[in-house]
Amino acid sequence: MALTITCPICGARNGYEFRYGGEEKGPKPDEAALRSPEAWCDYIHFNRCKAGAQEEWWFHRDGCGAWFTIHRDTVTNREIPGKEAGI
Amino acid sequence: MNRLNHLDTLKIRPDESVTIEYLGKPFQGAAGDTIATLLYGGGVRIFGRSLKYHRPRGLYSLNGECSNTLMAVDGEPNVRGETTEARNGMVVEPQNVKGDPARDLMGFMDKLSPVLPAGFYYKMFHKPASLWPKAIKGIRKAAGLGKISPHFTMKGSFDEIYLNADVCVIGGGPAGMAAALAASQAGLRVILLESRPWLGGFFDYRPGLYDRGRSLADRVETDPNIRVFTRTSVIGSYTDNLITAFCRGDGSDAFDERYLEIRAKSVVTSTGCIERPLLFAHNERPGVMQISCAHRLIRTWGILPGTSAVFSIGDDLGLEAALDLADLGMEIQCVADVREDGQNEALADRLAEKGIPLFRGWVAAASDGDPKVKRVSLTAINGVRSREFECDLIVAGAGQTPVTGPLTLAGAKQRFDRRTGFFLPVDLPRKMHAAGRMLGYIDPDAIEASGDLAGVKAAADCNGADDSKIREAEERLGDLQGPARGTKFIIGPVKTGKTFICFDEDTTVKNVDQAIAGGFDVPELIKRFTAAGTGPGQGGIPGHNLPLYVGLTGQSPDLDPRPTTVRPPLTPTLIAAYAGSNHDMSKRTPMHEEQVKAGGRMERVGVWHRARRFGDDAAAAAEIENVRNNVGILDASTLGKFRIFGPDVLKALDRVYVGSMSRVKSDRMLYSAMCNEDGCIIDDGVLVKRGENDYYFTTSTGRAGSSAEWIRYHTRYENWDFHIVNLTDAFGVINLAGPNARKTLEKVADADLSNDAFPFMGYREFSIKEIPVRAMRLGFVGELSFELHVASSWMPALWKIIEEAGAEFGIRHFGLEAQNVLRMEKGHLIIGSESEQRTTLHDVGLGFLWHKEKREADTVGAAALRHTENQEGRLKLVGIEAQDPQQTPRDGSIIVDEKIRGYVATARYSRTLEKSVGMALVESELADIGTQLEIFEGEKDDERLAATVVPMPFYDPEGRRLRM
Ligand SMILES: [Zn+2]
Repeated sequence: MALTITCPICGARNGYEFRYGGEEKGPKPDEAALRSPEAWCDYIHFNRCKAGAQEEWWFHRDGCGAWFTIHRDTVTNREIPGKEAGI
Repeated sequence: MNRLNHLDTLKIRPDESVTIEYLGKPFQGAAGDTIATLLYGGGVRIFGRSLKYHRPRGLYSLNGECSNTLMAVDGEPNVRGETTEARNGMVVEPQNVKGDPARDLMGFMDKLSPVLPAGFYYKMFHKPASLWPKAIKGIRKAAGLGKISPHFTMKGSFDEIYLNADVCVIGGGPAGMAAALAASQAGLRVILLESRPWLGGFFDYRPGLYDRGRSLADRVETDPNIRVFTRTSVIGSYTDNLITAFCRGDGSDAFDERYLEIRAKSVVTSTGCIERPLLFAHNERPGVMQISCAHRLIRTWGILPGTSAVFSIGDDLGLEAALDLADLGMEIQCVADVREDGQNEALADRLAEKGIPLFRGWVAAASDGDPKVKRVSLTAINGVRSREFECDLIVAGAGQTPVTGPLTLAGAKQRFDRRTGFFLPVDLPRKMHAAGRMLGYIDPDAIEASGDLAGVKAAADCNGADDSKIREAEERLGDLQGPARGTKFIIGPVKTGKTFICFDEDTTVKNVDQAIAGGFDVPELIKRFTAAGTGPGQGGIPGHNLPLYVGLTGQSPDLDPRPTTVRPPLTPTLIAAYAGSNHDMSKRTPMHEEQVKAGGRMERVGVWHRARRFGDDAAAAAEIENVRNNVGILDASTLGKFRIFGPDVLKALDRVYVGSMSRVKSDRMLYSAMCNEDGCIIDDGVLVKRGENDYYFTTSTGRAGSSAEWIRYHTRYENWDFHIVNLTDAFGVINLAGPNARKTLEKVADADLSNDAFPFMGYREFSIKEIPVRAMRLGFVGELSFELHVASSWMPALWKIIEEAGAEFGIRHFGLEAQNVLRMEKGHLIIGSESEQRTTLHDVGLGFLWHKEKREADTVGAAALRHTENQEGRLKLVGIEAQDPQQTPRDGSIIVDEKIRGYVATARYSRTLEKSVGMALVESELADIGTQLEIFEGEKDDERLAATVVPMPFYDPEGRRLRM
């Protein structure tokens, strides 16, 4: 959490201000896919745990209260500069 | 006190005396003394005993690199005597000794050393395993450092600050000061951290350089862009330039220690070097000290380290120190220099002028004397000739070791450099720079130029690259003397005696040989097997020598020396400093004072202080009775309260609530619950409609902080137009409950409160003596009740109005305990008490709240609610009644037969019902009414309480009272 995180509203801030919200997996699959408990469970609970660049969600808890994604290199635990944050 | 008070390099104030108590006797020194220098000035030479062999240990370094001068100060163990400033009245005791360290009764341990090889404890007590618990007691008694009483309370005041800077410079020596000035000149805000009480570093004790260091320090100290923290040691260095450190107070500061957390855009590490200890037999005997230790003792503290010295050194700093000490009145018998050539000849000539012999290619082989140094034998490095000298001081050093901890902690690699003999930092993290002596520079101009270059680069990190400025700084440095050739790693030919590679753990070169013979050929493994470098000083003494010994003496095929890993804290830190001021981050409701005055027993519930009960009765019987018979008033201000509004608000509400939220009518509340994606219940509360697309809802106290986050998270892909305002602190809540609640309120409200006009589950907005309130007819405690939401600032006034109005009806306070019993009797649950992580909406019997017609993908938890609706083997919430009314099972006790089948959530003796009843989560097979349960409280061996599953609610099952 020592890293800095760039909030699209507040800019680069101390990582301790944010809460991690998991990997970016895209919106929830449609109704049909949720019918099987396995498919639902995979979407909710399975992660890719990628070593390297990963897009992930963060919440600016002690700040503006926005959810957004950043790209982070999970090997160096650093935000990848230049990749635009998205909401 | 016999000090050389005329030296301009002194850092003590000789006129201000400081007296401490050591071994029951007073010792006097001067303001600015450390505990170790004060005692050394007072004649103390033996400061403690070593961990394993109980060997006498004296002053060796002045930087806290070994545990030799660890002492107990005012009951606090393991205080570093050599870096802790002495203060009047300190009571100082030695550690790991019986009595005076000069005559330690455990000294015989040293004679046992032949039977205590490396790994002795590991091997000896490995089998049988039962031996270890017995052996450990004896070992712990003989070994170890300070003792701490279990009743010890840390005195002092601790603080913390969080700083931002453009550039953070670690190390206030010449390179660090030059870097700070360069960054400041670029208009940047600079923080400079220095572990000593003053700036100057490498320059501050050396006669030719002192003034130069002072003038640099003057510029830094008066520079408005530079904030200087002295007495500040770095603890750690983390991702994106987060530097942690702690600062010791100077005696006049408001804190004793202060934790610092600094976020900088760029970092310059200019931590310089420490000395690499010289390895020879009995190289840690009191009377052996490092070159800078001897030199600083006299220059900084005005103390002659001894009367007659022999030097065994490996670089020009040793020659310079010998000359300076001789000039100041110490007898130097000779200087042995491991280098056969390459000395600064001007220094060699001056030694010759003074008649001090310089033995080139010679080194100390052994010290002798018990307990202090009396003799040293020197030998040519080829071992052909040797000579002995009588002396009371051996000044010994093998060269320099760079301090790279702040860089490697942040991810830099270390590469062995054969020219300097250093592990040089390479692959530095972005926006981190190294400067000064740690890179091998020894020429004062080059050290400053290297700092200047790092400062210019750090400025470029902040202001954008300015290649021409960097190039200019590089050229200035390039014209100066480059990194110097380091001193070769040499051990004199040692015949007998112990050569210590690590003082803290009593690890000898022989122990390392034993480890290598045992198959451990990498320093990281040898470190673990021999414990070298695992003591309080960490790598300070063995950090450089161990990998050099392993890598360069041909003992290992792993020929390129590899350093061991440095970890935080870089400097030992008090846990109290980490804790800082430890503010209690809690909240008080607007009625806090009022409730305390009324006898409220306040306790922490999450972030809040709440009244558990009023008066002495832990069961709050009178409060309960009064709510059932008259009327009670409860401060429920901690409830989560939110406004949510906007065109897409209903979509958002439908997403997170299990119900269909469009069903809410403008004068009625809608009760609903929230689940997580697993269908587990996380919250319940009510929603009211206050206008078009404008709603007000409550959450449980514990969810107040995370509800906005939760709703936004689950709508994050949608771009819906709605807004959430957390009103938790803006509104207070009064819960007025009991059969007389309406009578009380009718006296003061400007609205019709009759059951027809304002029925159960109704929502109204009206005024009480002109105070606007939002009123809800709820029945959490099972009686007629009104929940009044009012602006926090109006709370005390409204409370008073209602108390006065209710006086004739017997109104009185009730607290959380009474509420808990009342609502339990009514079978109303509290999320978190009657549910846990795995409990679904169905499990607690609230499955009817789930609106199945909603699209599953649109509702958080709906898919799981369907999957688990009829799942077998789940824990279900049931009502229980204890067989013996006088034996109420404790909350949390387990329900058992052959195995655990569930647990009691809440159970109390109910005065209203004259029974012990409660709620429990049990396996579904046990959930049928009439099932006999056995409850095990864990009190007596196998005693079990009997209980029966009974219908809920226990009180007023028809629900008449709350609809009165
Ligand atoms: Zn933000």
